[in-house]
Amino acid sequence: MWSYILRRVLWAIPTALAVITICYVMLHLTPGGPFDSERQISPAVLANLQAKYHLDQPMWKQYLYYLNDLAHGDLGASFRYADWSVNSLVAQALPVSLTIGGISMLIALVVGVILGIAAALRQNSAIDYVVMFLGNIGNTVPSFVLGPVLILIFAIWLKHPDGDGWLPAGGWDGGIRYMVLPIALLSIINVATIGRIMRAGLVETMTSNFIRTARAKGLPLRTIVLRHALKPALIPVASVLGPLAISSITAAVVTETVFALPGLGKLIVNGASNRDYTLVLGLVVLITLIAVLFNLLVDLVYALLDPRIRY
Amino acid sequence: MNRKIIAAALAASLGLCSLTALAANVPAGVKLADKQELVRHNGTEPDSLDPSLYETKPANYIASDLFEGLTRNGADGSILPGVAESWKQTDPHTWVFKLRKDAKFSDGSTVTADDFVYSWQRTVDPKTGSKYTILHEFIANAKDIVAGKKAPKELGVKATDKYTLEVKTTDVVPFFPGLVAMGNMAPLKKEALDKNGKDWVKPGKMVSNGAYMLAEWVPNNRVVLVKNPNYWNAKTVVITKVTYNPVESDDTALKMYKSGEMDWTDEIPTGIYASLKQQFGGELRNTPWLGVYYFNMNNNLPEFKDKRVRQALSMVVDRDILTQRVTGNGETPAYSLFVKGTSAGTPTTYSWTKEPMAQRVTEAKKLLSDAGYGPGKKPLTLKITYNTNEMHKKIALFLASEWKNKLGLQTSMENQEFKVFVKTRHDGAYQLARNAWIADYNDATSFLDLVRCGSAQNDTFYCSKTVDGLIADGNQQTDAGKRTAAFSKAMELAMEDYAVIPMFQYAKARLVKSYVGGYTNTNFLDDYLTQDFYIIKH
Repeated sequence: MWSYILRRVLWAIPTALAVITICYVMLHLTPGGPFDSERQISPAVLANLQAKYHLDQPMWKQYLYYLNDLAHGDLGASFRYADWSVNSLVAQALPVSLTIGGISMLIALVVGVILGIAAALRQNSAIDYVVMFLGNIGNTVPSFVLGPVLILIFAIWLKHPDGDGWLPAGGWDGGIRYMVLPIALLSIINVATIGRIMRAGLVETMTSNFIRTARAKGLPLRTIVLRHALKPALIPVASVLGPLAISSITAAVVTETVFALPGLGKLIVNGASNRDYTLVLGLVVLITLIAVLFNLLVDLVYALLDPRIRY
Repeated sequence: MNRKIIAAALAASLGLCSLTALAANVPAGVKLADKQELVRHNGTEPDSLDPSLYETKPANYIASDLFEGLTRNGADGSILPGVAESWKQTDPHTWVFKLRKDAKFSDGSTVTADDFVYSWQRTVDPKTGSKYTILHEFIANAKDIVAGKKAPKELGVKATDKYTLEVKTTDVVPFFPGLVAMGNMAPLKKEALDKNGKDWVKPGKMVSNGAYMLAEWVPNNRVVLVKNPNYWNAKTVVITKVTYNPVESDDTALKMYKSGEMDWTDEIPTGIYASLKQQFGGELRNTPWLGVYYFNMNNNLPEFKDKRVRQALSMVVDRDILTQRVTGNGETPAYSLFVKGTSAGTPTTYSWTKEPMAQRVTEAKKLLSDAGYGPGKKPLTLKITYNTNEMHKKIALFLASEWKNKLGLQTSMENQEFKVFVKTRHDGAYQLARNAWIADYNDATSFLDLVRCGSAQNDTFYCSKTVDGLIADGNQQTDAGKRTAAFSKAMELAMEDYAVIPMFQYAKARLVKSYVGGYTNTNFLDDYLTQDFYIIKH
């Protein structure tokens, strides 16, 4: 097992390198540079700025400079935010994304699995229809619609006597009040996905031969579900956990925009539109590492869920 | 030495000195709230808080609270004494500023004339990498220093003593006291920069001389400033804490305003002005802004070398419908790049604006026909390029519709992402392109750069030696009236040449809570300093 983990971690290095290289080339080939703006800069100033960021060098040399800095843990200076290094920008945005994404994933996992089980065991009942309906809502109503609705209800319509909303409409100070609505929004979307997959997985498992055998033995339903059906039914759920977690933490662009959260999603969008090469690449490195980590965790969870899988 | 200008400058400086330079001017009878804290929406994250490096408006809002120049902007748009308690133009190319002796940095040290010299030399030094040197370029030798041809120490500024600053300018710049109100022109404490390097702008390390000090800065989240007890005029500063929220979505900002998290918004979402007016009444504030929205016609292309084509395209566009039905945020039609409120520049209009549209259309068709375009002649097809934005798209569609319906011209549209778009425009790789200009400072010269031959801001490639001659003449005029006349004539000629298609003057519409005192509707540059505000008990 440990050698497997080590192998996977080591594989992350060439994977990250490939992703960085592709992004690097794509960014540099995109028309428009970091210093293109409404107001044209003096050629002497531009030359100094380009020299400062090695943009006056051939692309392959710039790439080597970048890799060298990266090897020393330095993601470079931001082109757009002159006062900040990419390391410090990422360090300030990551906790926000981790908090919102992590908590919403946990909630989604627990609630989604419970609802999925309930719906699967009561097929075509009222609870099944409710879960399926909620699942459809969560999957089909875009977050840029659902988010403002939550804000409208909890921040604008429902108010304290002093005139302020029950919950903030946006912003972030790390307090629970600021977390509730973004976490609710991300959770609703993820609950819908996990609930539907869980339901489908359990319905399929419950029709398997080994469950039929268990029923024939006269085992109670609770035992059948908890001891025999649950684990295999969770495998499809585990498969989507990786992508869901990555998108919840790193790509919650809409949620971060709707609630004005200072997270990674907002940084990467701003970075790309400003041609802030170093910022975008720094975030690519981070997202690649998170993706590798989550995929590894998912693979390990497989082994726990299905004894036939061994590494 | 011109007696008139010196007399005028002396009178102006004496007049200014007589002002009390109050910060928040709380009217008698107004009861102040116990908590004097203000939350301002700031549009986007500041690109920097270093006066030598920032170039965006959101950064300038914050920097103007943190740093004070020789003068400062009053809430009503007037120029008030800042670190300088008086100033005068001793000859057409020399300004002398007398600094107050009680001006201090946030660490308690005195602000001296040398701090200005250091700051300005640092900004124009190409090694600093400042992208915004336009304000400093009015100082003698600045352009050569920025271009790397002279050393920064050759900048035309010197401290004749600890509290006297002498500035030599290239042109006659009567608006110089307005320029030095910008945060970019503030003094810097060299020791603080040397000690902390790039991090000198961070909380706990920044040494500034404005009414506020930097307390907290979380990128993309908030910048928090607290009152600076060492500020020379601290006793009149009422707001004790101001938070700037860099929320990029105007919709989100509006919701935060509604839920009580913000005391004002930087903008309002487009297309809902009327409903916000109905909902918020007096809280919706609207001020004409020193900015113009216009379209470039690439004067290098054969079809636009013919003035008749340029004129025809401009005269059929109904700016009244555009501003009332399409933009609808309080903008006003424009027929000149000079707009209402421009100092030393009179906005002009065209005689055809009074004609019925049908007559304008007939004339425009004839102009096109005379130029060789139209039925039975060469076809004229147009392509409008704009950067991705819903409002720009709507305006481009409106323009295409006007040309199609009135002149029968086929127009295609191309939207580009902003960085690509600005390069396209600078390179002249377009036929018609959206453009806009918000003045950096209130003087006609800020707008004239848009039509001056070879100017870096002239992306339309219009060039007239007559216009340039008038601009050059105005730049050396010591008589204010003659200066205004030269600049106005220059712009009038450029507009008679149909250098561009002016569309409308911007209006700065924002929501401001009724309990925020001190807001005015006359600040055309939209430079509001927090020290001019107060929170009324509510």
